[in-house]
Amino acid sequence: MTNLLERLTAWWHAYNVYVALVLVAVGLYLLLPRRRSWGRAAGAVTSVIGMGLLAARSPAFAGFFQQGVFWSLAAVTISAAAATVTFRNPVYCAIWFALALLGTAALFFYQGAQFLGVATVVVYAGAILVTFLFVLMLANPKGQAYYDRISWEAWLAAPAAAVLLGVMTVALARGLPAIDPAVPAGSPDFPVPAVSVARAMSQPRVEEILATDHMAHLGGQLFSRYLLAIEIAGTLLLVALVGAVAIVVHEQRSRATVDAAHPTAGHALTPAALAAGRTQHDSQFAGAGANIHE
Amino acid sequence: MNEISLLQNYLFVGAVLFALGMAGFICRRNMIVMFLCAEMMLQGVSLSLVAWGRFYNDWGGQIMTIFILTVAACEAALALALVMMLFRSSGKLDILVWQYDREENQAPIVDRELPEEPVSDRTHWPELVPAGIEPDQTKLEVRYRRRI
Amino acid sequence: MSRIDLLIVLIPALPLAATLVTAALGRRVLGTASHLPALLATATAFVLSLVLLFDVRREASAVPTQPTATTPSAGYERVVSLWTWANIADAYHGLDVKLLRAGNQPAGELIGAPGTGGFNFSIDVALRADPLTAIMLATVTLVSMLVVIYSIGYMHGDPGYWRFYTYVSLFVFSMTMLVSASNFLLLYVFWEAVGVCSYLLIGFWYQKREAAAAGMKAFLVNRVGDFGFALGVFLIWVTYGTLNFHDVNYHDMLDASDATGPAKVAVTGVLGTTRLLAPASEAYVGGAIGLAIALLLFVGACGKSAQFPLHVWLPDAMEGPTPVSALIHAATMVTAGVYMVARCTPLFLAAPEASHVVAAIGGFTALLAALIAVTQTDLKRVLAYSTISQLGYMFLGLGTASLAGITAGMFHLFTHAFFKALLFLGAGSVMHAMGGVIDMRSFGGLRRKLPVTHWTMFIGSLALAGVVPLAGFWSKDEVLAAVLDKAVAAGEAGESVASLYRTLYWGALFTAGLTAFYTFRAFFWTFYGEERIPPEAGHHAHESPANMIGPLAVLAILSAFVGWWFAMTHGFARLLNLTPSLAYAPLQPEHAAHGGHLTVAAVSTLVACGGILLAAYLYCGDRSEVRALARWFAPAYRLSYSKFFIDPIYNAVVVLPLRGLAAVSYWIDRYVIDALVNLCGYLPLAIGALLRPLQNGVVPFYAMVMVLGMLVLLVGSLLG
Repeated sequence: MTNLLERLTAWWHAYNVYVALVLVAVGLYLLLPRRRSWGRAAGAVTSVIGMGLLAARSPAFAGFFQQGVFWSLAAVTISAAAATVTFRNPVYCAIWFALALLGTAALFFYQGAQFLGVATVVVYAGAILVTFLFVLMLANPKGQAYYDRISWEAWLAAPAAAVLLGVMTVALARGLPAIDPAVPAGSPDFPVPAVSVARAMSQPRVEEILATDHMAHLGGQLFSRYLLAIEIAGTLLLVALVGAVAIVVHEQRSRATVDAAHPTAGHALTPAALAAGRTQHDSQFAGAGANIHE
Repeated sequence: MNEISLLQNYLFVGAVLFALGMAGFICRRNMIVMFLCAEMMLQGVSLSLVAWGRFYNDWGGQIMTIFILTVAACEAALALALVMMLFRSSGKLDILVWQYDREENQAPIVDRELPEEPVSDRTHWPELVPAGIEPDQTKLEVRYRRRI
Repeated sequence: MSRIDLLIVLIPALPLAATLVTAALGRRVLGTASHLPALLATATAFVLSLVLLFDVRREASAVPTQPTATTPSAGYERVVSLWTWANIADAYHGLDVKLLRAGNQPAGELIGAPGTGGFNFSIDVALRADPLTAIMLATVTLVSMLVVIYSIGYMHGDPGYWRFYTYVSLFVFSMTMLVSASNFLLLYVFWEAVGVCSYLLIGFWYQKREAAAAGMKAFLVNRVGDFGFALGVFLIWVTYGTLNFHDVNYHDMLDASDATGPAKVAVTGVLGTTRLLAPASEAYVGGAIGLAIALLLFVGACGKSAQFPLHVWLPDAMEGPTPVSALIHAATMVTAGVYMVARCTPLFLAAPEASHVVAAIGGFTALLAALIAVTQTDLKRVLAYSTISQLGYMFLGLGTASLAGITAGMFHLFTHAFFKALLFLGAGSVMHAMGGVIDMRSFGGLRRKLPVTHWTMFIGSLALAGVVPLAGFWSKDEVLAAVLDKAVAAGEAGESVASLYRTLYWGALFTAGLTAFYTFRAFFWTFYGEERIPPEAGHHAHESPANMIGPLAVLAILSAFVGWWFAMTHGFARLLNLTPSLAYAPLQPEHAAHGGHLTVAAVSTLVACGGILLAAYLYCGDRSEVRALARWFAPAYRLSYSKFFIDPIYNAVVVLPLRGLAAVSYWIDRYVIDALVNLCGYLPLAIGALLRPLQNGVVPFYAMVMVLGMLVLLVGSLLG
């Protein structure tokens, strides 16, 4: 397997310029005006990728390429996040959040945290987000809710977010350049613990965290040094499971009493009956909602 | 891109995610969207942790992120159960419905009247139907169904 | 010897036991037999008091009556110290007190001075037996016993029967303790205790508004006097360094380095033998402090014995049951002031001006009360003012500051206890027959209905009026003679003092006439003339039962003979003069002139007979002359009838300003202090009102506040 990967990598290093040339050609072909106009978008993408590969060949563009990958991933993540926050329809919000998650997972991969990347996709996107969507759809009010169309004190929240971002950026700009190999560890300008910085700055770096047997290392750490934490996390999961069940059971019981009080509701499990029941239910709890419009 | 600039970049992205999530948590009224935003803040933190772990060549960052995942899963489970219950009681996902636990004699926060939403802005909202029941079908759905 | 010790403890202990038994069992167990413990206790106490009296007399006879240079006399006393009540360490630091040392120690030196070690101030619960105490105990227990017997009939059927006997027993206990206490503090305690009993018994029928108010008034007026008394006690402690009457010996208090010091220390009591035998100038403090002590003590006596400025409570105290009026407000408690002044004679002698004040107040009160009594229509009030008047006589006698005068005052106290108790119990008998009515305008001519009461009261009235040979004659006569002697003796000292005493003598003589007049006015009005019975009497209008008549008869016999007996044999004076305070050296030389006695006796008898005859002339007939007289002297009549407007004046001068002050204080309390308190209460409320909008129940708002706070911290740390 490793062999194959190495051979593939070697192959790629030898022939990627040809691949790039092919991609550029195909893409350009697709872009050019033809009788049938499908595939223009695909052409554009293909040609851009090909050009990118070509540009990466150039030493001047190599660093730029690396950065470009990062920045495009970052751009995707950030714009998806912005969309999550700003879209009106909660379902779209959830979908955009899924994209932001994917971007984050990609950034994890880029950082070498393969397990985290996979776990984020599987746990978050695959489990949590889907549950969110289920809930959203179960809790579907008729039509677009007014509360999705307005914000709570956006004029205050947006500046607050901006200021927070500014603060963190400024802190980044001020704090990190100080971590410079020239500055000796432990000096007043050097607030970071000396040992770890020395490790971080040691040449050549011991790339433990980028080791090929990444998963083995991570698992070893988890089940040795963080064993207690792992056990507690497992207990937490169990508690959360029981808690969620308890909440739902309790809620079902209270619903049952409500249904007993209104025998017409909930006998026939047709959507219409459900809708009728829900309407009744809404009117019954109108008091809770009514204080907004009182 | 050396180690320091990598760290800086990741921290920046993490900060952006955190700030956006925070703004969303404050602004959005829909409880589910609020939880999405909270999860996004966790993502920002996770990114930062992983970056620091890479920088210091330490597993702690990634392990911490694993725990964040765990806690997020628990939180989601409980939060969703609660949101479902709240929705069942009030018929709304609006967080402001639950402002009755304010101090006595405080006027409730009342929304000003919104203009009717333009039709062009209306979006469909997929709906789940309880299991075992054949969903209602609109004419549109019937038409598309034929093509499946 | 040891018998006296036992008796002096037993006499107060018996009524105390009766109190406890009646209080504990009276309501549920004893019921209508609640009088038994009190009866048993007072009767036994009386017998024991008689035994004590004879024992004391025997022991005292051994003491030489006249002091000589070799054998100084300081009378007879016997002290029983039960236990130490309080012990205050190092109490004498920085205090310049006048303590005398025992034996051949230099006088006036402070015990516990530097080098002799600290010295404690201890207050003992100490009882004393001396002639004065023995006489008082015998009087108190005798009258108490008779009143207890009388009350069996009088209080019969009252729902508070057991309560009455509890209070009476408590009173007897307090009074016996008062007269046998050998310590100013103990005296003060039981001084207050008898006051409490008086309050409880005046307000015995507390459902009656007047009774409750009268109790309150008695208590409050007494408070003024007691305040003076308390100040006097404080001043005594500061001046003399002890509150004991008697000397106390402490063994081994001085350390051995004091070469001359014996291993025995005496704290010389204020009225102790050592001090009494020392030269007067060294033993007692005169001047302003001595005068202040004497006057403050006299203020206390004025309150308790109802003398002029503080006499207003006694007439109102007649709201209580009549036996109580007889026991407490005529015979015993009100004489506590007289007893106390007599006991403290050396202190009064140290400040001669104080004696003048005592005499002046006494004489003035006697006259004032007699003038008021002349026009009163309430039988018991007439007797109450008569009591005040007779107490004035007693103080007049004490105020002469001569042995004869003090003896006369105490003798008058002694005889007065019998005939005034007799008159009150007789009035009670009348009241019993008349269904509770006591206003003389409502009844008359009762001598056929109440023959025994009539005759006993006749004797009592004669005794009060001072007709030969009844009790009042002898004692009053001695007081008058003592005042006249004092006037003569003072003539050598200074004209102003002499004229004061001469005025007092003539005033007292006039008062004697008035006494005879108002006494027989009441007597004739009640028992002679046309027979009238008020409707309230119903079929009650008959003679009282035997247990009420019996005490009347006993008291009548005593009133008839006690004065004559003791005056002829001089037994009272001889015994009394062996009291340490009265065997005091400065008193002895004034034994002079007894020559004026016969003249005084003749004049006073004449005056009394004149008063009786006037009363007979005015009140035995149809009383048309009375109305004419009242018309002719309308202003004087109104002045007397309305008690010289003293109550309204007090109301205007004392009560109303105090009420105003109370109103101002209430206003300040309500609108200033309460307002401040309320402000303190409103402050959190205001802060809460400011902060309350923060708790608006909106979760995003909370999050926002949190974020803003975090931002402030972050930006601050970044900029700072």
